[in-house]
Amino acid sequence: MTTSPNTSPTLEAARERAVFWHVRLASDAASESDWLAFEAWLAEDPAHQKAYEAVEQVWAELDSAPPSARSNLAALQPRPNRRTVLAGAVAASIAAAAVGAGLWSLQPRTMVFETPVGERRLVTLADGTRITMNGGSHLTATLGRRERRVAMADAEAVFDVAKDPHRPFLIEAGDREIRVVGTEFNVLHHGGRVAVAVRRGVVEVRPKGATGGPAAARLTKGQMLVHRRGEPDDQVAAVDPDAALAWTTGRLVFKNERLVDVAAAIDRYGSRPIVVSPEARDLKVTAVLEIGSEEAMLGSLAQFMPVQVEQRPDRIRLSLRR
Amino acid sequence: MADPPPLIAAYMRKRGDLLRFFTMRTGSAATAEDIVQDLFVKISEMETPADLRSAEAFLYRMGSNLMLDRAKAQRRQAARDHAWSQTTAGGGPEPVAAEPAQDEALASRQRLERLLAAIDKLPPQVAAAFRLQKFDGLTHAEIAQRLGVSRSSVEKYIMTALRTLVSEIEP
Repeated sequence: MTTSPNTSPTLEAARERAVFWHVRLASDAASESDWLAFEAWLAEDPAHQKAYEAVEQVWAELDSAPPSARSNLAALQPRPNRRTVLAGAVAASIAAAAVGAGLWSLQPRTMVFETPVGERRLVTLADGTRITMNGGSHLTATLGRRERRVAMADAEAVFDVAKDPHRPFLIEAGDREIRVVGTEFNVLHHGGRVAVAVRRGVVEVRPKGATGGPAAARLTKGQMLVHRRGEPDDQVAAVDPDAALAWTTGRLVFKNERLVDVAAAIDRYGSRPIVVSPEARDLKVTAVLEIGSEEAMLGSLAQFMPVQVEQRPDRIRLSLRR
Repeated sequence: MADPPPLIAAYMRKRGDLLRFFTMRTGSAATAEDIVQDLFVKISEMETPADLRSAEAFLYRMGSNLMLDRAKAQRRQAARDHAWSQTTAGGGPEPVAAEPAQDEALASRQRLERLLAAIDKLPPQVAAAFRLQKFDGLTHAEIAQRLGVSRSSVEKYIMTALRTLVSEIEP
């Protein structure tokens, strides 16, 4: 046992017990009563919690160990690590297709990413940038030597961009270009509308092709810009960034929004366009909807709103219920 | 109606216990709520593991993994925000903390090297048991079989290894 002279006996005992618990609970023979006893031990003394966190910290730090740290014994018979399998099933990887650019060409490759309606995907680019794509989205990414560029067709995605001072990160959405100065934000491009909501950091939005010119807007945390194709102006308003990004966890969150805007958001999740009758357009909606089919989402909306949903072969019509 | 799968049934019974446990572990009821919510999503998407012994213990362990993953993601996010803050704050006379970030990366690399060196110095069986669990993901039973010792010996080996490693970092 390695006891250094300046370690107090209490700390030593707490550490000893913390190690015991860490090993015990990692065992597949651990039972519910083990976990309850562990909880009771943690609650006894803040020093216990501290000692346990120190053990967890060491365990976590070793996650970055190189593969050479593995035991040679196990190399004989590799088996999948349980946690990796679990994570793999959840964060399904995305198939990336390379277009253009021959194998030996110096042109940067353009990757195409697509998600079917109703399926979210996490894409990690070679520079470490993570893009969470909403269903029914189409975008391309080109990591060049001087700049990184993503072009969004009809798409919604949250970007968590890796910093690279020598290669700015630019996103094209319709007739707007977004320059990334910060880290996490949502971009929605659908039906001629571009909406950018920022959760962390700063992004700049300007008309496409005006790179280097003055930004139309500089958005920071909690701000959202909305632009309609062809219009010269952009509207900037406050936004709850967690609500704007809620789709990443399978929900749509609306706070006091117009029914017509809510319908436009739901419209992305189905194939039939949603039309809202004029007298219902300005109805205010506050709701949390589980993302599902267009029909299901409108159905739950109609449960607590005075709204009537009419299914027609070519569209869905919303009007006030009488 | 068919009985719910064992993990879902255990979750329904133990949700309150899990919330209390993760509130204590994270110091935040809101974070605990998020973890327990994520846990439910995960178990409702998975098949019941063939070798499930205790559904309750499985929930605690999986929730703990989710908690540690969150902590790791937060550290990554903080590091990334820090990296960006150096660009956005650039130009001013104030020293933007570029050095501490590098110092931190260096310090954690050095800590990792110390840990790996300490594993190398452990008695061979102790080091083997530890590596098989930590780096190869074997269970205690599988390690016992591989090393030809009892399961409780495996647990003792791994405890010895962990104790040494913790004292190495926090004497």
